[in-house]
Amino acid sequence: MSFNIAIAGNPNCGKTTIFNGLTGARQHVGNWPGVTVERKSGHFTYSDHRFEVIDLPGTYSLSAFSAEETISRQYLLDEGPDIVVNIIDASNLERNLFLTTQLIELGRPLVIVLNMMDMAVEKGLKIDMETLATLLGAPVVPVIGRTGEGLEVLREKILRVATSISLKSRPIDILYPRDLEAEIQKVNALVEQSSLTGRQVRWTSVKLLESDVETRNEVRAVDGGKEILDQANESISRIERLFKDTGRAVISHARYGFIQGAIRECVVENLSDALDHSRQIDRVLTNRWLGLPIFGLFMWLMFKITYDVGSIPMDWINSALLGLMNVISNVLPDSMIASLLVDGIMGGVGAIAVFLPNIFILFFIIAMLEDTGYMARVAFIMDRIMHNIGLHGKAFIPMIMGFGCNVPAIMGTRILESRRDRILTVLINPFMSCSARLPVYVLVAGAFFPENAATVIFSMYVLGVVAAIASGKLFSKTILRGMSKPFVLELPPYQRPTLRSLSLHTWERGYIFIQKMGTVILVGSIIIWVLGYFPKDVTLERDYATEQINISAQFGQELQELTLKFEKSIAKDSSVYRSEMQSYTASSGYRMLHNQYQELKTNLLASEQTQLYILKQQEIRDITEQKWIGKVGKIFEPIVRPLGFSWRESVALITGFVAKEIVVSTYGVLFGVGENVDEANHGVISGLRSSGMTPRVALSFLVFTLLYTPCLATVAAIKRETGTWAYTLFSIAYSLGLAYTLAFCVTFFGGMFNWLS
Amino acid sequence: MFNFKRPRHKLSKAIEGDLRLSDLKPGERGRIREIGGSDQFRQRLIEMGLTRDAEISVDKYAPLRDPLELIIRGYHLSLRGIDAQKISVERIN
Repeated sequence: MSFNIAIAGNPNCGKTTIFNGLTGARQHVGNWPGVTVERKSGHFTYSDHRFEVIDLPGTYSLSAFSAEETISRQYLLDEGPDIVVNIIDASNLERNLFLTTQLIELGRPLVIVLNMMDMAVEKGLKIDMETLATLLGAPVVPVIGRTGEGLEVLREKILRVATSISLKSRPIDILYPRDLEAEIQKVNALVEQSSLTGRQVRWTSVKLLESDVETRNEVRAVDGGKEILDQANESISRIERLFKDTGRAVISHARYGFIQGAIRECVVENLSDALDHSRQIDRVLTNRWLGLPIFGLFMWLMFKITYDVGSIPMDWINSALLGLMNVISNVLPDSMIASLLVDGIMGGVGAIAVFLPNIFILFFIIAMLEDTGYMARVAFIMDRIMHNIGLHGKAFIPMIMGFGCNVPAIMGTRILESRRDRILTVLINPFMSCSARLPVYVLVAGAFFPENAATVIFSMYVLGVVAAIASGKLFSKTILRGMSKPFVLELPPYQRPTLRSLSLHTWERGYIFIQKMGTVILVGSIIIWVLGYFPKDVTLERDYATEQINISAQFGQELQELTLKFEKSIAKDSSVYRSEMQSYTASSGYRMLHNQYQELKTNLLASEQTQLYILKQQEIRDITEQKWIGKVGKIFEPIVRPLGFSWRESVALITGFVAKEIVVSTYGVLFGVGENVDEANHGVISGLRSSGMTPRVALSFLVFTLLYTPCLATVAAIKRETGTWAYTLFSIAYSLGLAYTLAFCVTFFGGMFNWLS
Repeated sequence: MFNFKRPRHKLSKAIEGDLRLSDLKPGERGRIREIGGSDQFRQRLIEMGLTRDAEISVDKYAPLRDPLELIIRGYHLSLRGIDAQKISVERIN
């Protein structure tokens, strides 16, 4: 037989560790429909029965305040899992049992797991399992998730509960104070008579008294719903009169009352020799003076490791890709397919693939920060600063990571719990100037501000941060207003992470990157390739083939003349040469002539190469101008004209949409100096200078480059993390708008004062 | 977002002049008397164990003086000063 198991529990209770322990690698990570909350499912087989396990998001309650709570509730109510496994942090019983009181009311067969027993023992807690099981009406299994101790007993217990479902082991009711219970009973009686009987009657009654919106809507829709709601309203007012508080608050207090009673009966605290290790660690890590510097050091290390260590496998991937490209070019003749494969797909996808090592390393470090519990401290330390932009302290991590690459940074927003915070952080993240933008700054600033290049580049970074902060403030006061949640953050005890869970976390997130980015980037690269490849045949005004032959012929002739002249000089010189000691060819006169000849010949060949090269690049430029991409550039030229940009900037910016680095190589092509920019940088620089661009327009171009959508991969990440095209398109439109406005300001107001012209 | 009528009670508002959680110094303990603020905020805190008469202590302030680290029911919780101000307490010595 096959059974469905749902794992429920508080955040930080070690739920995922137990889930991993039960299912091993047989798991699947996706998203819950419509939201970017991770949905983990897996399965295991135990004594011929198959158990499908779903890991519900960690929640403190089932009151439907957050996406996580709503998901968990809906799953538990609508899907009706055969067994609910409730994971509890044994060292933090009271608060963890609050969720349990709600799970009990759901009426599904329950197995309670006391996780982190080792920590509870260390803390000096003695828990009487049997009494607790009786009080909660469900079996209780002690487990140490980190070591896997007790998992076998848990499987056995799950099996026993699963196979004895028919015995109808009805869970107990949480007992509420008498006056409250009386009101519950009144509502209960009506609910039982209605068509809602199939559902959990007591759950429904209690939720009605908690003024739970979803339950009310559900009840309103059934026959006799109105009477039930009337009764519920009446009961709520009576409760409010009696207890001088809302129904919800009264019930929650009563739940804690029940929990305190249970704990009095089955827990012996012997805290005299208890040691709070986490508190000791926090004496240093969140220390008033040391907290910030230590955090800064960790951030620096994270950056350093991500980009430095990542650059090693990056080179391997790069050379592997180049090798593969060569093989393809050799195997396939000069054809459209080869061009599509090499220039289009491998060029585009490859540009993203080289970032894989960075991304995996970054995710590994983030997993480490999360699993140890330090991430909560980051939020604690940075909240004051991030609060200014209307964000949660944890949002600092993805912001900083944006300086490296916006794609993993945007994916890193998953560490934020509230959807509103996630969206806000995603929207402002692209303004953090990623490393791919640096080559553009270096090139343009180098060409136009050779004296102050560093200052110009640094001010781009500053402008990016300012744009992010200002936009964050703007968004949190406009489109994302009011959805903010109060900052209620648990600082969980520090844990030693297991390599297994770290690698699982890293792989899960990395895999999503490979999967999603792969598809979007693939499509995007193909589009850009099509624009650059078609129309296939272009008619050029100049006959480059003939010009090439002419150049070669001309240089060939010059070389011939030079050789002739050299031979003549030698003949003349040797005829007057008189020496018994050495032959003419060994004489200093000959050597001088010969060296002179060699030097002239080398120069001649070099300038032939240069002329041919320039010609070739001019051809590429002429061709590009006639390809669709050039036409697109011309179409957009009028739009960017007010910024002082020509069709070249237009093309560069369009190609930069795929990835910012491409701006540089596009310029290389457009100025006819070749794609290998490192060697031909001087060519681009002189090309830029002679293109009629003023330093003012160059600055405006840099501002535009900084602010508009960083790359296709970022767009894909935004789509993935916000879950909607609406925010994705908004992000593109907003950043384009901001880029245009600020670039225009630079060109226009700069022009008014005749600044940098 | 929540379209049901808000209950008409006025008791959730902490009384002016009360000692607030934000008034406690690091290391000081208090007993919760009342939580003010929005319904949702109150409910969230109650669910996290900040019930009436529960014992709570301020462990420390963050390096930039906000938020605060609290100890409640044996675990560590962080709240912003502005939210801690909505919780009235009675000092325990």
